[in-house]
Amino acid sequence: MSLQLLANVIVLAAIYALVSSGYVLIYRVSRVLNLAHGELMMVGAYLLVALAGVFPLNPPLALALAAICGLLMGIAVYAVLMRWMTGEAVLAAVLITIALGILLRGLTILIWTSQQFYPGASFGWRNPPVHLARGVQISSASAALVCLTVVVYLGLLVFLRFTRWGVRMRAAGQNPLLAEQRGIRLHGVYALAWGLSTFTAALAGMLLSLDAGVDSNMATIGLKAFPAALVGGLDSLPGAALGALIVAAAEIAAIQYVDPLLSDVVPFIVLLLILAIRPWGLFGSREQLDRV
Amino acid sequence: MSDRSALAKELSLFGTPARRVRLALALAVLLALPFLATPFQLDLLNQVLLASISALAVMLLTGFAGLISLGTAGLLAAGAFTVGVLFREIAAPFWVTLPAAAVVGAVLGLIFGLPSLRLRGLYLAISTLGLHFVVVYLGGEYEARQTLSTGIMVDSPSIGGFAVSSGRAWYFVLLAFAALALLISVNLRRTRTGRAWRALRERDVVASALGINVTRFKLLAFVISAAMTATAGALFAYFRNFVSIDAFSLYLTVQYVAMIIIGGMGSLAGAILGAAFVVLFPYAIEAAAGYLPARFGNMVFALDYAAFGVVMILFLLLEPEGLIGLWHRLKNSFPVRQAGAKSTTAPR
Amino acid sequence: MTAPLLLVEGLKVAYHRNALALHGVSLTVAPQAIVAILGNNGAGKTTTLRAISGFIGLDNASVVGGSIRFAGARIENRPPHANAARGIVLVPERDKVFPNLTVAENLTASLSARANAAERHRLEETVFAFFPALPNLRSRLAGLLSGGERQMLAIGSAVLCNPQLLLVDELSLGLAPVVVEDLIRRLSALRQELGITVLLVEQNANVALAVADYGYILESGRVVLEGAAAELRGRREVQEAYLGQTSGAERRSYRALLQDPAVAERPRE
Repeated sequence: MSLQLLANVIVLAAIYALVSSGYVLIYRVSRVLNLAHGELMMVGAYLLVALAGVFPLNPPLALALAAICGLLMGIAVYAVLMRWMTGEAVLAAVLITIALGILLRGLTILIWTSQQFYPGASFGWRNPPVHLARGVQISSASAALVCLTVVVYLGLLVFLRFTRWGVRMRAAGQNPLLAEQRGIRLHGVYALAWGLSTFTAALAGMLLSLDAGVDSNMATIGLKAFPAALVGGLDSLPGAALGALIVAAAEIAAIQYVDPLLSDVVPFIVLLLILAIRPWGLFGSREQLDRV
Repeated sequence: MSDRSALAKELSLFGTPARRVRLALALAVLLALPFLATPFQLDLLNQVLLASISALAVMLLTGFAGLISLGTAGLLAAGAFTVGVLFREIAAPFWVTLPAAAVVGAVLGLIFGLPSLRLRGLYLAISTLGLHFVVVYLGGEYEARQTLSTGIMVDSPSIGGFAVSSGRAWYFVLLAFAALALLISVNLRRTRTGRAWRALRERDVVASALGINVTRFKLLAFVISAAMTATAGALFAYFRNFVSIDAFSLYLTVQYVAMIIIGGMGSLAGAILGAAFVVLFPYAIEAAAGYLPARFGNMVFALDYAAFGVVMILFLLLEPEGLIGLWHRLKNSFPVRQAGAKSTTAPR
Repeated sequence: MTAPLLLVEGLKVAYHRNALALHGVSLTVAPQAIVAILGNNGAGKTTTLRAISGFIGLDNASVVGGSIRFAGARIENRPPHANAARGIVLVPERDKVFPNLTVAENLTASLSARANAAERHRLEETVFAFFPALPNLRSRLAGLLSGGERQMLAIGSAVLCNPQLLLVDELSLGLAPVVVEDLIRRLSALRQELGITVLLVEQNANVALAVADYGYILESGRVVLEGAAAELRGRREVQEAYLGQTSGAERRSYRALLQDPAVAERPRE
């Protein structure tokens, strides 16, 4: 595989990894599969478009505000909608996220129409290519995304391992009953998980929009990233990173050596393979299957 | 499939005179409708009838047997494409393509059902999601390579030399198929298969301990449901005279899942009610769009999406038992107060 | 006579709304007492505990009659965290620790409700004083602990929640007698030095009556006998049915013994 291809794999893997961290966060803590994640990522991108229009001369401010809005959006989604499903059947909660995704898709088109937007253009930013070794090049936005993914993953791992809220989140994920009994407020923990999840989704959406623009189809990337989370084992962050690498490598290889039209279906072929061979994922545990 | 004895069992249900009268009235109304309705209304009716077939299929699989599948759109596509491909390649007639579609559906159903032997709930749904994308890809590949256009044109079918192309003709054809689907569903529910499915839905571990062949009944549910759905897809191809992979998106699957939720899980009448609701909903939205400022009013499909999402959320949150549940609640909202009755609410 | 900390009167619990599991259980727990609930499998002991702790709703069951009063307030059918906030803490029979968290993290998770850092430290020190084996196991994953260590961690975590009433479900299940004896002593010490009231559910009547002040014996969802522990221990019927000390005759249920006109039930204190 040529070095340029390898670079492309890493960039795509970073996208999938950043997006699937959101799936993992919510699933690990509350056992809910958030199938509106792709749409939430898209809303994050549109938020940047809107803020870029308001602060065209101050990109850092627009980016920061968009990210914070992303965080708040997740907390709001939990507080207004998902909290009523806490304690109910997981499938009902998943169906609600599907409905939420549809609602968001409709709303974003109503507000922004289905044309393509380039927030980078509002900033006057040309997204110049970054030249790596030996003639390999990727766009600046891609490079930023890769770095950001690493930072986000390290940050999340440190947070979950070493902070009190992180311990609470892990405890709630393992045994919500016991957690409640030990005084851990499940609603607070779940809201935080949702907030962090949409925060990372918004970051991904923003960087993708800076790279390739945003239109109403961006949410599809969210769905394509899901197999990465599943391959890793839905409740493992390192697993999601590894899964992202695997899916990205498979996708790029298929596009390059087999048929470009395969791009949208390869992640799901990987998904079917892992479900056939090891459904609980690379880093998951077999008991997971029974908890559903 | 229904056979004479099952049919007799069915008809024996309508034993009471009151029921017979109601049935006769309903039949009379159904038969008179195509002559009373406008062409537009007739087309809506036809769409509802067509959707009912798959809605019943989804109800059988998910509402009865408790097996979650996101494969409806893929199966509809499989049926439609069977018709399209056979028509295009060998000009096959209706009486060949329709059974072929059902067979293709059955085979696909077997494939979609295999994961259910190992996976449950969320994981099963995810596996069917993956299969959906594979089917859609295959359909897209055929379209891209073989047709060089955005779809396949299909002529109206001819049944016994009679071309089915008018709204009225379609009405009777679709009514017949919908009635057949309903009969099959009712029959299945009452027989051993239905009881086995009910046991599966509760706890398949327990079911297998009771000696029920879990494998056989899970696969049976998938195969029957898929064959019905693919048949509906085939009818859809003829109904619209057109087959294109773009019509078979994940959103379509969600609409069918919504049908059984809005209608009411586990209820056949609910499936039909839900089908009617979901089919008619976009038209209601379109009518309402006329009252909105032009900016929004022109983006009807986006309005449709947003409104549909809202309605689905409302039903999931407030009325998880669907329209049937709502109907029961309304009926019971005028109870006779029992002296000394204590109400206990289940804790959250 | 001081008011009881926990007063359960005529408690009726039904599963799936129509299968009665408890048919009117009444019990009283005085402050700082250790009370035991005994009985065979299926007698309704765990159901009683879960009704008191609030976990009952999660078993698709609910209190359909009677009342539970904790420090005077009615608490039946309230959610677990509400009861935990009142100071009722449960050590469940299964899933009593967070298996993929270390011992230290398990304790941190329980501490989270305490706002005050000094208070947190004090509680942690207390738990380590009562369970000196725990500090050495700080970085061990809770799922890898032995049965006895896990029980210690579970009780320690519960103590960290500063409970007024500690509910312990099947303390001795699966543990060696030596370990159980040790746990019993620590439980007693907890009551002695922290003033925690304990309600203990146990299949092993010997163990329970060794540490309890008062005991209730449940059978098929009803209280069939109650009394001070010393008296219960001494009664022939209890000895035969629950303490395994038969005189060669087949083990009989306590119910059957009640039919015996020679036996009279002791009135409530």
